Amino acid sequence: MAQKENTVEPVLYEAHKKIYPREVSGYFTRLRVLSLVTLLGIYYVTPLLQWDGRQAILFDLPARKFYLFGLTLWPQDFIYLAALLILAGLALFFFTALLGRVWCGYACPQTVWTEAYLWMERKIEGKRGQRMKLDKAPTSAAKIRTKTLKHVVWIAFSLWTGFTFVAYFTPIDELAGELLNLSLGPWETFWILFYSFATYGNAGFMREQVCKYMCPYARFQSAMFDSDTLIVAYHPERGEPRGSRRRSVEPAAVGLGDCIDCNVCVQVCPTGIDIRDGLQYECIACSACIDACDEIMDKMSYPRGLVRYTTENSALGKRQHLLRPRIIVYATILLLLCGILVTHISQRVALDLDVIRDRNTLYRETNDGLIENVYTLKILNMDSQAHVYKLWVEGIDGVKLVSDRPEIEVEAGSVYQMVVRLQADEFNLEARSVTVRFHLQAKDGNHLKTVTDARFVGPGKS
Amino acid sequence: MESLTPDKIPRSQQAISVLWPSFITAIIASGVFFSAFNPRDLVPFNLDIDISPLAAYSIGFFLFWLLASLSSFGTLYFTISNCRFLNNQR
Repeated sequence: MAQKENTVEPVLYEAHKKIYPREVSGYFTRLRVLSLVTLLGIYYVTPLLQWDGRQAILFDLPARKFYLFGLTLWPQDFIYLAALLILAGLALFFFTALLGRVWCGYACPQTVWTEAYLWMERKIEGKRGQRMKLDKAPTSAAKIRTKTLKHVVWIAFSLWTGFTFVAYFTPIDELAGELLNLSLGPWETFWILFYSFATYGNAGFMREQVCKYMCPYARFQSAMFDSDTLIVAYHPERGEPRGSRRRSVEPAAVGLGDCIDCNVCVQVCPTGIDIRDGLQYECIACSACIDACDEIMDKMSYPRGLVRYTTENSALGKRQHLLRPRIIVYATILLLLCGILVTHISQRVALDLDVIRDRNTLYRETNDGLIENVYTLKILNMDSQAHVYKLWVEGIDGVKLVSDRPEIEVEAGSVYQMVVRLQADEFNLEARSVTVRFHLQAKDGNHLKTVTDARFVGPGKS
Repeated sequence: MESLTPDKIPRSQQAISVLWPSFITAIIASGVFFSAFNPRDLVPFNLDIDISPLAAYSIGFFLFWLLASLSSFGTLYFTISNCRFLNNQR
């Protein structure tokens, strides 16, 4: 047994064969290009958008504020971001159950940038055959020139991508100015290069290997699939037995199916699989093989759709169900969460009050014989304009609020810190420690109000 | 065919299986950690250091990545060594 093991060398992953996807055109390819170009456009244009005199979408890390158009989120609003991520995950489940791997083929950044890099490769190195020939050719001045040009273009595009990425965290005009003055900070430079390198590597070299070996979604997406999920599939009953034949030959006359075994569906596949082998987890449902096969079917004057979008049920001639428990459950949870999130954000009060009791002394007796506690208040105005606030306290009969600041005015988007003292008659204290409630309200807006509870400590009833 | 074992995975894929999941973990960990704590308020080991927020976030991220990598590496190491051990026993 041990001997046998030594002689049989198991191979876990086959040696990587470079894939040269053949160019393809057709309905789904146009749809896909539209989606990819739109998404790339959104990525590169978003940091350029302005809103109220600042960048519309900016994750300002130094100031710890996230700007999303009219909305400013603070670290306290982290829950919204978490909810948004959960929502995105659920949406992925929902669309996977309904449309299969539409995310992989049309929207995943890995696909989007891989296609962009492939497009550049095609423009520089030529079509599939030319690219294969170039790679096989011995080193020559012309080969070095072509390859150098490709990498220069790729690296330039990567650097632009990395620059745009950092512009989501540092205002783009500042960043561009620093770049032109050659005064970029060390960390900004580092992140631009880091992201550029990741883009260059993932889209230029790793490509389908990321989907095959690194993507967790590719592994578990089948859990969302059922017999009514949209898939890209070959029609074996119609296609088999496959075989080549001359044009205008009736397949039945030569005892063949409609598949002419031209292998174009394999050549166009960006992950290098044969769709005729059935549903495979490498398939990112990009639908390139559908367009490729339809073109061949047109040339042969056979009906289209030998490779097509279908569902398992439809392929087996069974009834299809659009509304099924899985879809309804995903949709319900999705809508519910959306509703909660929207309601919460719309009712968000742009004001926060922190009350910290002075811990050095439990309490103090004033000259008038009152019990006094000291508190530090932190008022956070999350609104986009300054406000004047009124502050009052309840919880103890006749409690007095003493502060050396008569007017509480807080600038937009800033924190205001102040010390206040509460004084109460010992007679009115029910216990050693009583809850007091601080109320804070903007004088110019009734909806801008918040309450925070704190402890008031006294000597206690004797 | 012999059943395939993790110790036969190429080195590059072993490296990816350590670095990639820990990278994702580090993103989540930095997101949660720095939402809760402002680096300006943190004084690690009572050191009086003055660095820019971007530097603090970046260093924090890499520390998380390093920690998560160590954990991923441990998992990979034990998986591989256990595979070798079991293969030798057979």
